Amino acid sequence: MIPMDTLWTWIAALLTLAIFSFLYKDNPFYKFAEHLFVGISAGYWVMLDYYNSVVPNLIVPVFKDHNFWFIIPGLLGILFFTRFIPKLGFLILLPISFYIGGYAGLYIGPGLQARLLKQLQGSMLSPADFADPGMLINKVIVLIGILGSMLYFYFSKEHKGVLKVASNIGIWFIMVGFGAAFGYTVMARASLLIGRIQFLLMDWLHLIR
Amino acid sequence: MNDLLIKLAKIDRRYIFLFVAIAVIIPLLFPLNFPTRATPHTKAVFDIIDQIPPDNNPILISFDYGPSTMPECHPMAYAILRHAFSRKVRAIGVTLASDAAGLGEEAMRNVAREYGREYGRDYAFLGFKPGGSAVILSIGEDIKKTFPQDFYGKPTAEIPMLTEVKNYNQISLVIPLTGSATATAWIIYAGTRYHARVADGVTAVMAAELYPYLQTKQLSGLLAGLKGASEYEHLVKEAGYSEGARRASRGMDALSTMHLVIIAFIILGNIGFFLSRRSAKKGERT
Repeated sequence: MIPMDTLWTWIAALLTLAIFSFLYKDNPFYKFAEHLFVGISAGYWVMLDYYNSVVPNLIVPVFKDHNFWFIIPGLLGILFFTRFIPKLGFLILLPISFYIGGYAGLYIGPGLQARLLKQLQGSMLSPADFADPGMLINKVIVLIGILGSMLYFYFSKEHKGVLKVASNIGIWFIMVGFGAAFGYTVMARASLLIGRIQFLLMDWLHLIR
Repeated sequence: MNDLLIKLAKIDRRYIFLFVAIAVIIPLLFPLNFPTRATPHTKAVFDIIDQIPPDNNPILISFDYGPSTMPECHPMAYAILRHAFSRKVRAIGVTLASDAAGLGEEAMRNVAREYGREYGRDYAFLGFKPGGSAVILSIGEDIKKTFPQDFYGKPTAEIPMLTEVKNYNQISLVIPLTGSATATAWIIYAGTRYHARVADGVTAVMAAELYPYLQTKQLSGLLAGLKGASEYEHLVKEAGYSEGARRASRGMDALSTMHLVIIAFIILGNIGFFLSRRSAKKGERT
C-alpha cells in the first residue's frame, strides 16, 4: 500500500514536470495540467469562499444565531448576480455603490495620511538632518528625485530650459525605480522556480535534505 | 567573434532555460555556501522581536500568502516563529487570504512543536476573516470581536493568552507576510490609523514599492523576498536560536548563480544587439 503523502508528492511532482514541459514546446501533458489546474482552482475557490465567507457571515448568523439583520447584506450580495439577467442588470449598481462608498470612507482618511502627508513629511528637510551628513545626502537625493519625477509629469508647459533639465533628471530617477522594480521581479520569479526545484529534489527525489 | 556574439543574441530561448535550470540545480545539490549578510531592514525586524520580553505582549503575524508565493513567504514565517518561540515571545496568527489558513496553521503548529510551545498559552491561530482592510480596522477596536472563534472553532474569549489582548495597543509588532496589496493596507490602517508598529515580509515583486514607507519610518522593518527570508534565517542561526531547516538559505546559492547567468545573458544579448545594429547600418551604407 502506497502512503498517501507519497502518492500526493508524486502527483504534484508529475504535474510540475508537465507544466515545465511547456518550456520546450506546447504539448498534451502541459495542456492536461493547465486544464486540471483551472478546473480544480475554480472549484477550490468556490468551496473555500463559501465555507470561509458565506457560512460564518450569513448562514450561521441568520439560521443559527437568528440575527436577521445579516439578511440585508446577504441580499445586497445576491444582487451582484443580477448582471446575468439583462432586465435586472441595473440592480448590480446598488451593492457596487455600497461597496465603493464604504471603501472610500474607510480609505480616504488613513490613505491620505499614510500615502501623501507622511510621504511629504518624509521628503522634507528638517534641522535634525543637518546633524548627520549621510542622512542629509540621502534626503537631498530623495528631494531631487521627487521634484524631478513630478516635473517630468508636468505637461502644462513645454519642457524647455530649466524644466527640461529637471524633467531629464526626473526620468533618470524613474528609470532607476523601474530597474529596481524589474530586478526584484526577476528575483521573485527566480525564487518561485527555486521553490519548485527544491520540491522536486528534496520532497520528491530526496536528493537533498 | 562579432558573428558569434550576434548569433548568441539570437540564441533559441530553450538554451537559456537549460542554462538557468543548471544554474539552479547544481548549487542545490552541491551548496556553494555564499556568505549571507543581513540588510539593515531585515536586522531591524530581528532586533524588534529580540527586544520583546518573554511572555509579554505578543506579535501578530498575518499569513496573507497562498501557495503561489509560498517559496518566498513560508520560510519567513518559519524563521520569525522560530525566533519568537525560542525566546518565549508569544504569537497570534491571522490571515486575510482564504487560501493561506492551512499554511499559517501548519507553520505555527510545526514550530510550536519544535520548541514545546503550548496552544492558547504561547500562541493562537485565529484563521481567516474576509474583509481585508475592514478586518485590519476591526482588530484595532477589538480582536476578539473581530475573531469570535479561532481556527479550530474555540471561542477566542476562552483562549488564555488573549485575555489581556484587546487591540493593537497590546501587540508588540504586526508582521504581514504577503505578496499582495495587503502589505500597504496594514501600514495604512494598522500603522497610520491605530499607530501599531508594522514590519512587512513581502515577495520581492512587492519590495520596491515599500521602500518609501521605510524611509518615512511607517515601516519598522522589511523582509524582501527569498533574500529577506534567508537573511532572517541567518540572523536566527547566528544568534543560536535555531538550527532548524533553512530552506531559504539553501535557495540563496541557487538564486545567486541564477542571477549571474541572467546577467551574463543580458550583457551578451545587449552586445549582440548593438553589434547587429552596427553591421546593419554598415550594410545600408554599402
